[in-house]
Amino acid sequence: MGKTLFESEQGDKARIDLDRVRTLQSDLETERAEARERERQMERYASDLSETFRAERRRSDELRASYVATVRALTNAVEARDAYTGKHAERVAAYGLELARRLAPALAAEPQTEFGFLLHDIGKVAIPDGILHKAGDLTPEEEALMRRHPVIGAEIVSHVEFLADAELIVRHHHERFDGGGYPDGLAGSEIPLAARIFAVADALDAMTTDRPYRPGAAFSEARREIAAGAGHQFDPEVVAVLDRISDTEFDRLRGTVG
Amino acid sequence: MAAVLVVDDDPFIRQLIVSTLEDTARDRPAEAGDGIEALEAVEREQPQIVFMDLNMPRMGGLEATRRMREAPKPQPTIVMLTAFAGDENARAAEEAGADLFLTKPFSPLELLNLVDDLNPK
Repeated sequence: MGKTLFESEQGDKARIDLDRVRTLQSDLETERAEARERERQMERYASDLSETFRAERRRSDELRASYVATVRALTNAVEARDAYTGKHAERVAAYGLELARRLAPALAAEPQTEFGFLLHDIGKVAIPDGILHKAGDLTPEEEALMRRHPVIGAEIVSHVEFLADAELIVRHHHERFDGGGYPDGLAGSEIPLAARIFAVADALDAMTTDRPYRPGAAFSEARREIAAGAGHQFDPEVVAVLDRISDTEFDRLRGTVG
Repeated sequence: MAAVLVVDDDPFIRQLIVSTLEDTARDRPAEAGDGIEALEAVEREQPQIVFMDLNMPRMGGLEATRRMREAPKPQPTIVMLTAFAGDENARAAEEAGADLFLTKPFSPLELLNLVDDLNPK
């Protein structure tokens, strides 16, 4: 006896359902395979990206190192002409960066700040030996030429792109807080902060370094003299930060320069 | 940079290739979702480089490549996107007239280098 019409319809329906399930399953597998393919593709991008970052970081480290080496070479060349100052620029840079770290961390983190500190006297390459090393007083003409070294120095570094911001320090490192300095006679906050910091670090090193005609002063004594110049030669805010750095710390910084 | 056509049925992969090449390209690469669209796009855009997926609905990459090679005009460089270089798909792609292969998943750096190499200097 054959199937009833009812049974046959049931069977057809079951087959159709099974086909639909198979199609859905196959669609699902295709979608899963596509999703896996996309995932693998994204992983490939991620791995290339991290490789690119690593390479980029290596390159920028190398570039940074070559900038620093260039600036050190220039600094040494400038200092080679002046037997008395020795490692003056390196010490000023170390003191100045410590002051900057406490006063304006972003400024201290900027490589150009250190470059400017190190190269502040680069304009002295244009000053003849006879004037630079003269034992007695300078004539007014010689004095005028000597006072041009910040402008000459700024002109020199202005042609070097990676020293563009250092130019401000080079140009203004002889300005006074009261406006009595040179070359532009800027006063107070008209003087770039890095140059105001430099003035204090420079004085600190000048006072505490041995000279042929006198021994270097102790840090405590230099502090008193610099404090007396606050508001005149020096920015009082920078002087206040100087007081927060101990003699031991300055000794350590001096030691790192050698 | 050379005009580029990207042929893949997966819009995600197309977008990825287009975005990767976008910064180096003068014009945004053209896109096609299957072989038939690819043939139309080649007529319209006259690309110098075609990135061609293998398996696509309506018309796959092999057939589209064969038909492009039948045309007499200046031929684009056809780069076939395959799962493995050297497998039988790759051999079939070479027979169809593909010039180069890029294995999936492709490296974006390889993709950029490949386009750089194909660019007239």
